[in-house]
Amino acid sequence: MAETVELGGSGPGPGPGGDGLLDPDFMQRLEQLEIISRKIYASRQKGERRSKRKGESAEFADYRNYVVGDDLRHIDWNIYARLDRLYLKLFLEEEDLNITVLLDVSKSMDVGEPSKALYAKRVAAAMAYIGLCNYDRVNLYAYNDAIANHVSGLRSRKMLPKVIQFLEETPIQGKSHFAAAARQFASRHTQKGIVLVLSDFLDKGGFDQGLRYLLGRQFDIYVLQTLSPQEVTPELAGDLKLVDCEDEDVAEITVSKTLLDRYKANLEAYCESLRSYCSQRGINYLLATTDHPFETLVLNYLRQRGLLR
Amino acid sequence: MTTVALFGVPFKFLTWQTGLLLGAIAVPSLLLLYFLKLRRQERTVSSTLLWQKAIHDLQVNAPFQKLRKNLLLLLQLLILAAVLFGLSTPVANLLQGPKENIVLLIDRSASMKVVEADGRSRLEHAKEAAEGFVDNLPDESRAMVISFADRAGLECRFTNNRHRLISAIQGIEATDAVSNIGESLQLAVAYSSQLIEDAGLTTPQAASIGSAGLQLYSDGRITDADQIVLMRGTLNLHKLGKASDNVGIVAFDVRPNLERPGELSVFAQIENFGPDPIKTDVSIRLDGRLLEGSGAIKELSLGGARPADEGPDPSRPTGLSSAENVIFKLIHDSAGIVEVRIHRKDALAADNVARAPIDAPRRLRVLVVTKRSRVKWILQRALSALTVDDVEWMSPDEYENAPDEKISSEGRSNFDLVIFDAHSTDRLAPGNYLFFGAVPKVDGFGMGEMIEDQRMVNWLDDHPLIRPAELHNVMIFKWRRMTLPNHAEILVEGEDSAIIVFASDPGHRYLMTAFDLLESDIALKVPFMIIFQNAVRYMAGGGLTESRGILSPGQTLTIPVPPGANEVRITAPGGVEETISVMGSHSVTYAKTQQAGIYRFEFDDAHDTTDVFAANILNPTESRVAPVEKLVLTAGTPIEIIDADTQVNEPLWPYAAAVALLILLFEWWVYNKRMMI
Repeated sequence: MAETVELGGSGPGPGPGGDGLLDPDFMQRLEQLEIISRKIYASRQKGERRSKRKGESAEFADYRNYVVGDDLRHIDWNIYARLDRLYLKLFLEEEDLNITVLLDVSKSMDVGEPSKALYAKRVAAAMAYIGLCNYDRVNLYAYNDAIANHVSGLRSRKMLPKVIQFLEETPIQGKSHFAAAARQFASRHTQKGIVLVLSDFLDKGGFDQGLRYLLGRQFDIYVLQTLSPQEVTPELAGDLKLVDCEDEDVAEITVSKTLLDRYKANLEAYCESLRSYCSQRGINYLLATTDHPFETLVLNYLRQRGLLR
Repeated sequence: MTTVALFGVPFKFLTWQTGLLLGAIAVPSLLLLYFLKLRRQERTVSSTLLWQKAIHDLQVNAPFQKLRKNLLLLLQLLILAAVLFGLSTPVANLLQGPKENIVLLIDRSASMKVVEADGRSRLEHAKEAAEGFVDNLPDESRAMVISFADRAGLECRFTNNRHRLISAIQGIEATDAVSNIGESLQLAVAYSSQLIEDAGLTTPQAASIGSAGLQLYSDGRITDADQIVLMRGTLNLHKLGKASDNVGIVAFDVRPNLERPGELSVFAQIENFGPDPIKTDVSIRLDGRLLEGSGAIKELSLGGARPADEGPDPSRPTGLSSAENVIFKLIHDSAGIVEVRIHRKDALAADNVARAPIDAPRRLRVLVVTKRSRVKWILQRALSALTVDDVEWMSPDEYENAPDEKISSEGRSNFDLVIFDAHSTDRLAPGNYLFFGAVPKVDGFGMGEMIEDQRMVNWLDDHPLIRPAELHNVMIFKWRRMTLPNHAEILVEGEDSAIIVFASDPGHRYLMTAFDLLESDIALKVPFMIIFQNAVRYMAGGGLTESRGILSPGQTLTIPVPPGANEVRITAPGGVEETISVMGSHSVTYAKTQQAGIYRFEFDDAHDTTDVFAANILNPTESRVAPVEKLVLTAGTPIEIIDADTQVNEPLWPYAAAVALLILLFEWWVYNKRMMI
């Protein structure tokens, strides 16, 4: 499957999945899936998911005593005939689920081969498609040092072109500042639901502050850290002047095995600290390198992690 | 420690201080530049977050971490090391390492004037080789320079100043003199052992106990090699030259023809020293003009020379001799320079010409002091056979009473020769005197008891005054024992006493016989005529040989100063003029005769007396220009022969430069390989 994915857009012309973001076969497989939230949220609109509230679905939930003001249509007249008392018949409410993808579009996402930005966008597209297929509310937020662009409240698969358009048209630019963006997002996005953060988390401002804002809103948070193979195993040699693509900070290095070992150890420690932070706070964390086929990521790993079913 | 052995070859750094100094500056500079000025390639990364942390981690406890395992820096240090190695002038000692005190002996004899195939003389090659040797001397070595031909010349005392040594070497000029190395070896050994300076010994004393490292630059044609003993020290002969083709005049003389008065016989021996037979013309000139007549040019065919170092070679054709004698006849009526010239271009030009000054036929004035008529009769007959134009006769009394102006004028005798018969006197103005049976009344001379019944036992038959008389048949019945000064030369002697004696002091020349002319039968025999003619010619200046003005280059001249002369102007070959004051001295001594050619001495006396001398090489050792195969001294240290083209030290800096270049290329390759990743 992975071989059929055109990362650079040199494949067949734009289809429903956009230019290389999703291909039809994969979309067909995505339609079988649905996104699972570990939490049950109340929503404002009827959907296909069980709500905390009792509502008007066909599924019986409970009885309660009638109080003045209740809808007379929900009184169980059979009980009243037998017991001469008024009971109200309660049914389960089915509501929709808010699925929000928080996509890092800072410049660092564009460094490396295969591109982290494209990889993240494809994951975002897949998640959005799954959500749309299940009549969930899909929201997409692109951020760098603030929310750069967003599209929200998408339902039904008819909205897929909008998703694709959003992903394709959002430029990769700017410095990343996850904390600022998360704070802005948390204040703007008040609906509960699943939040999937797609980022490399190579942010000099750190990740904990941003995640804390999201935790404060009680979202069901999933973190997918994407790194390019060059970041995991740098193929550098000689005397180099490393320039940060975002803030043009410079690091002069003379590559040696010691230095490379030290870098790898640092990266490992950084990823471990992120994973540890997430697990302690009930956040689901997953690390993916872009040389790993994203179809496998979506169909296998995300399912194993319980985000999909 | 600048000498080390590498793969069995000792090598050393000639200027290791320079390398060390430059290294002390360059290595820290390179490291500093490496830190400060490293040109790094830019790479864009997603974030420097983790890199900065890694660098920080490494730098905290390892400030020189950058230098570790950095191949490029290592290569650059290697390049620098190679360059510094080269700058230290490393050399491989291909020859025996020079001692601390080196003496450079440079031959400047006639054979060193030989022009080699490349158009440069042997002396120029020798100077170049010696300069190369000096250039390669270690800093701590001292050297001195001695040039030698017939005499040693101390060109530069011991010094480690190479500039002085090289300018001393460059200042050496070739001479036409023979090569005698003995004196220079004495000087070299004496100076190099520092015994002269430290112990205050004389040169011969120091030479007998000292030792030295001697470097001899020569073709090995050394006349006195078989008389030299080098007991201590080492002698390396840097053999120079390859040319061997040379024809030279090895003997030359001008004599009057006894049969034909007024005619001179000019005799020359021409020898071919080259390996191949040759033909050449030999001509005679008077004052630079070819003589008229067909006999002025003679053609000679000479066979190839047998190498001097080999024995007889039976396979060699023996048809032609390598040496031939040539005799020219010359009639002259005035003084001049006679010159014999070989018309051939060969390796040594200086021995192709021989010159001799000849005097004009002159009128001889002779005074005979005798009172005996028999003696007068004998001498009258003898003088009439000679070309004596003016003979005056006096008795001893007349001589003693004669006024001074009759006997002498201007402090010199009026006669070319004064003959005393059995009369002793002290009235002897500067001049020439012949005493029969008497001695001059001068300190050191005296007559003793009569000697009888003794025989003549010895005579110098090659002396110009005796030659070619044969005295076997001469009878001398008795003679008186003579008391003689040390400088007297005994020409004929009896069993325990002198019979005929020659003596000279400044201004005077005396020939004395111990016998009375009438006490011998010599006056009746041929030898008397020969000796009498020799005496008249030789002593009166007419000359027994007309070539009395011939000398060897380097020979010291002592010339009587004519009365009234205050200075003498000397014109040497090449037109070099020099004026010397001679006021108050009886003779003038001149030693700067190293060049072959004509030396003219012009005095400023009333007669403008002019003496002319010709220096000619006339030496087979110098004319045999082919370098020796081996040089054998009488005894002592064996001599190592080194081809002068061989380098003493093999400079290693080109190898160091090549290594630096290779490492540079390797560094370039490594750098590019890394950048391509």
